[in-house]
Amino acid sequence: MVIVAVPSFGDGGLNSFMNPRFGRCDTFTFITIENNSIKEVKAVSNMAANAMGGAGIQAVQTIGNYGATEVIVGNLGPNAAQSLAASNFKIHQAPNEQLTIKNLIELYIEGKLQTISGATVASHYGMSGSGRGMGGGGGRGMGGGRGMGGGQGRRF
Amino acid sequence: MEKRPKVICVTGGKGGTGKTLVAVNIATMFKNEGKKVLLIDGDVENPNTYLLLGGTLENKEAVPFFKPKINEEKCTKCGLCAENCAPHALLHIKDAYPVPILAVCSGCRLCYKICPVGAIEEDYTTVGWTYSTKLNDISLLVGELKPTEARSASIVEVLMEKLTKIMEEEPTKYEIVILDTAPGAHCDVELLIGMADKVIPVTEPTKFGKLDLLRIIELIKLLNKDFRAIINRSSLLGYRDQFLKELEESNIEMLGDIPLDDDIVNSYCLGKPLMDDTSEFKGGAGYNSFQKIFENLELWLNSKGD
Repeated sequence: MVIVAVPSFGDGGLNSFMNPRFGRCDTFTFITIENNSIKEVKAVSNMAANAMGGAGIQAVQTIGNYGATEVIVGNLGPNAAQSLAASNFKIHQAPNEQLTIKNLIELYIEGKLQTISGATVASHYGMSGSGRGMGGGGGRGMGGGRGMGGGQGRRF
Repeated sequence: MEKRPKVICVTGGKGGTGKTLVAVNIATMFKNEGKKVLLIDGDVENPNTYLLLGGTLENKEAVPFFKPKINEEKCTKCGLCAENCAPHALLHIKDAYPVPILAVCSGCRLCYKICPVGAIEEDYTTVGWTYSTKLNDISLLVGELKPTEARSASIVEVLMEKLTKIMEEEPTKYEIVILDTAPGAHCDVELLIGMADKVIPVTEPTKFGKLDLLRIIELIKLLNKDFRAIINRSSLLGYRDQFLKELEESNIEMLGDIPLDDDIVNSYCLGKPLMDDTSEFKGGAGYNSFQKIFENLELWLNSKGD
């Protein structure tokens, strides 16, 4: 069994789009995979989305505390990359196109995602106004807490 | 007469306006008068006063910067350090040891102070160096930031600690201290202006020069410091007349202006201060303008009964 974390837009979940921003995504969608099939899906709001600084580091804490050991990312800043590496995460690079979490997980299960080891963008790339212009409702979900909030468990 | 040196800060907002040129030549003119002068180069990203004085940097000293070191034998993985770290420079995932992310560490030592089991130890990284030397009878103290380091203010802080120590312990060692700042209106510059009795912003008669001058004056006023401006390259045509009129309308007092002059460029290239008493450029337009500035500076320093 492995738990994969994917930064997502809005409320997250399998049908939401993957968010290319890591530290400042709205939600993390956690997908538990066992025997090459999705066992459980949960979305947790990203408390670091509007942090002044250190968003990537806090985001790694959020997903680490949830129990994820692998992550699929679009863009990844240097502090987040260092934090993921220090915590022995396996990092997968998402293709540069708009995909739903479901599509991405299918690619993951088929082994079609590349693993990467370092940052893909410079510091502060994902701050408001400099990302890929796909802003999706920032400021949501200040509550929630460390991976315990709002379970939307779907079983397949 | 006060038994402590007068501190003059040369700054200016815009880069390349001649801050270092003015700082070195003012220091030289005080030296010519037989004064004991200390010149501090606080442009730690590009320290180059020593080049204008024709020397080299000596007496290198490392500037240490705190970094947390986790003692895994003592750490209970409680996470208190990470919870309280304002810049989030400690990554803590439950059941794991905290990991310092040094790029965002401010060096505040809070983690070291609050760890309930003493598992955070003091370690240090070098963020830059200071140098001290004496060139041409001017004592020189220089800060240099290590390339790739971002925490330049920590170098300026060390320079100012050294100055404070000299002023407290040996108040008569120097009569004049000149501080040369980096361009900009950021915390490095603020630290240096904060130590000064008088501030000299150096600018040039261009739209860039004016904008940056107004920004640095805003900072100088916030710090409640007395200032007078110098206009370098004042014979540049175009915007000059409007520029001088605008300064007058804004009640910005002037210490003087320096015209374009090949002598200045030549002395610069030779690494010999234009205003040195052995200068081969005596009597030129640049030389005369510096003399006039120095007269005004001395009147200003001696005004207001001190």
